[in-house]
Amino acid sequence: MRNYLLKRLAQTIPVLFGISVLVFSMLHLAPGDPADLLLGPDATPEAVAELRSDMGLDRPLVVQYGAWAGRILQGDFGRSVVLNRAVLPEILKRFKNTAILTAGALVFAVIFGIGIGILAAVFHQTAFDSTAMLVALAGLSMPTFFTGIAGILIFAMGMQVLPSSGMYPARGGDFFDLLRHLVMPAITLGAVSAAILARMTRSAMLEVIQQDFIRTARAKGVSERGVVWVHALRNAAITIVTVLGMQIGYLLGGSVITEAVFSWPGLGQMMVRAIQARDYPTVQGGVLLIAMSFVFINLAVDLIYAWIDPRIRYS
Amino acid sequence: MGSLLASAMAIGLAHSAYASDDDTIVVGLQAEPVTFDPTQISDLNTSRVARRLYEGLVGLKYGTYDLEPRLAESWEISEDELEYTFKLRPGVKFHDGTDFNAEAVKYSFERQIDENHPAHGSLTYRGAPSYLGPIDKIEVIDDLTVKITLKNPSGPFLARTVGMTMRIISPTALKKYGDDVGQYPSGTGPYMLEEWEPGIRTTLAVNPDYWGATPEIENLIYIPIVEPAARLSALTTGEIDLTVDVPFDSLESIKENPDVELQLGDSAHVWFVALNTQLSDPPFDNVLVRQAMNYAVDKEGIVKDILQGTASVSSGPLSAAYGALQNTDVKKYPYDPEKARALLAEAGHADGFGNCEFMVPESGSGMQAPIEMGTLIQANLAAVGINCSIQTMEWGAYLKAYREHPQMAQMSWNPPIGDPDIVLNNLLNSSNFPPGWNAGSYKNERVDELVSGAQKISDPDARREMYLEAQTLIAEDAPWIFVNHGSQIVAHTAKLKNFLVSPDFDLIVEYATFEE
Repeated sequence: MRNYLLKRLAQTIPVLFGISVLVFSMLHLAPGDPADLLLGPDATPEAVAELRSDMGLDRPLVVQYGAWAGRILQGDFGRSVVLNRAVLPEILKRFKNTAILTAGALVFAVIFGIGIGILAAVFHQTAFDSTAMLVALAGLSMPTFFTGIAGILIFAMGMQVLPSSGMYPARGGDFFDLLRHLVMPAITLGAVSAAILARMTRSAMLEVIQQDFIRTARAKGVSERGVVWVHALRNAAITIVTVLGMQIGYLLGGSVITEAVFSWPGLGQMMVRAIQARDYPTVQGGVLLIAMSFVFINLAVDLIYAWIDPRIRYS
Repeated sequence: MGSLLASAMAIGLAHSAYASDDDTIVVGLQAEPVTFDPTQISDLNTSRVARRLYEGLVGLKYGTYDLEPRLAESWEISEDELEYTFKLRPGVKFHDGTDFNAEAVKYSFERQIDENHPAHGSLTYRGAPSYLGPIDKIEVIDDLTVKITLKNPSGPFLARTVGMTMRIISPTALKKYGDDVGQYPSGTGPYMLEEWEPGIRTTLAVNPDYWGATPEIENLIYIPIVEPAARLSALTTGEIDLTVDVPFDSLESIKENPDVELQLGDSAHVWFVALNTQLSDPPFDNVLVRQAMNYAVDKEGIVKDILQGTASVSSGPLSAAYGALQNTDVKKYPYDPEKARALLAEAGHADGFGNCEFMVPESGSGMQAPIEMGTLIQANLAAVGINCSIQTMEWGAYLKAYREHPQMAQMSWNPPIGDPDIVLNNLLNSSNFPPGWNAGSYKNERVDELVSGAQKISDPDARREMYLEAQTLIAEDAPWIFVNHGSQIVAHTAKLKNFLVSPDFDLIVEYATFEE
């Protein structure tokens, strides 16, 4: 187990290295220049050139990457070009807000996705099943920005029952205000995941329910509830947890659009702004942080397998 | 569990109707402020907050571009126009309790221009070359007198002292916080920073020791709302009292809402299409072709149908916000496709021409509705035989491409100060050829002479004459397709009175009040 963990942790190093190279080169090869954007139209070409050189942008890409990677290894994420502050504390602060949003979306996706999936499997080929799968298909097909803006128009502007943006009311608020502000963004972000989970749970459950041991369980008089919850779900869980793990990563990355629509002060929104301003240190730091969490979530999912299914051993 | 749920619901209900108290104004910005170090601010959203915190030696008379004393009570300019002696206002204190004086002025300016200054730090002072560049030396004459000597006479110098870069910050705060002073601002303005939760809200509290009239409103809260629909929703539900840049397609619904009012403010904004005047294919080097293109475009239609009447048709680089400095008596180009065709024929292009590439950004500060406007311009030009293909780009990439000799490209300009120099010199003087901002490489020797000349004198009347003549020539030469000057669109709750929209894009809320 310990060896497995160490091996897996070691594997994350080349993954993160690959991601950092990819992000770095994509950013730097994209047209647009931070010096131009920072200085704005009032700047002379000489001032732009000077700032480029101050920022090290006139050096070869490989040298720039080496300098950046060297500092990252020492825990120095650099200073944001736009915010004029150290990157790491800022992205951690925003990451916390993104984690809150992701957690909210996940709770929604798990309750509705898995719940509907189980019910659809139990009531297989009934009106409930087909309606649920139709709704799931719709949830899967609707882009986040559409769901989000539709939500704002209906629930915030029309019915005025939910706030339209932010994490707290303008004049300040408490934990319960946070929950109210979380409802729409969490559902918007979690809708696609809920739909995927519902479909996957349903098919995993159907597959298990048709197997011999379920028939045996029923034959020996186990209640239907026991059949579904103890025997079927536990065996379908490996598939569900795998999908769930992938969905957490998707939710972290997918929060970019949701955060922009709802002005959620998370990492996604910060990244959009950083990309627009070509704030390289912030974008690189942010992507690295998201990639790292993705890698660790996958690791956690793999470890959960053994807990769900004691037959699985790590070596 | 039950009681927890019940209390959650009770609190939720208590907060569901947003309590609007009369001593706080909540402003919805498009983005959060980034830093409160006046030398590091380059975006409108940040300066809309920071202008409450910091003041300059000279200020703008509220709602106009007219200069008036602010931290300086008066000033004298020497005969040779090189020495500016400012008499400072006595009894002014920074938010940190220290005194404002001549030493503070010197410290705020020298920090930016002297690399060995103790407060220079590792920051880049982006505004320093243009704003402080003309300064040779700064001398403290006595506690309340400061003399600034320039290297050469500079016409726009006084107007530039209004700019954010030249606003005065407490030397004590600079010494204490160094490069991080942007998080701990200390100016002399009517409000001071109370709390700043990045991404969530910025709260300002009234400065009890303010030297001028103390504002009635205790607190100003600025919150960022990125999505326009969410901004409007927050306004209609009363969560915010005021917001800017309402989307054009929502104007109708606001006009119908009795609780919300729309205010249009004059601005110095200009929106144009730069033509590469050095190019023979497509023949933009021919003045007749450029004039024809100006006649071909239905500017009235753009203003009326796309911008919903929130702009005025442009006939030159300067808008009406410049007052007497705007030349209204210039050649104008009303929509006239017939005349456009005739001019094209006269230029030897009776059948029009193709292979023209029209650069359009997807969005951008001050760009209004770039794609819709670009598409209409493309159709108007096609109607007289000029066939252009549109190439769209993301704003960051666009800004770079714009300065690399585009054939034909949209641009807009929100001048931060009220001096025509920043428009006419930066955008149309041949000394600013690409990679400068004269992207169309427009060159008229007389215009260069006038615009450069007006930089070197400070007599307002003589400068005005020069700028008027330059505008006449520019309108004749048509280096741009002149399109419009946009108004600032502000929507606010009907109860909010007495706030002003400044032509420099500021929202002056300090003297606002709530009325039932």
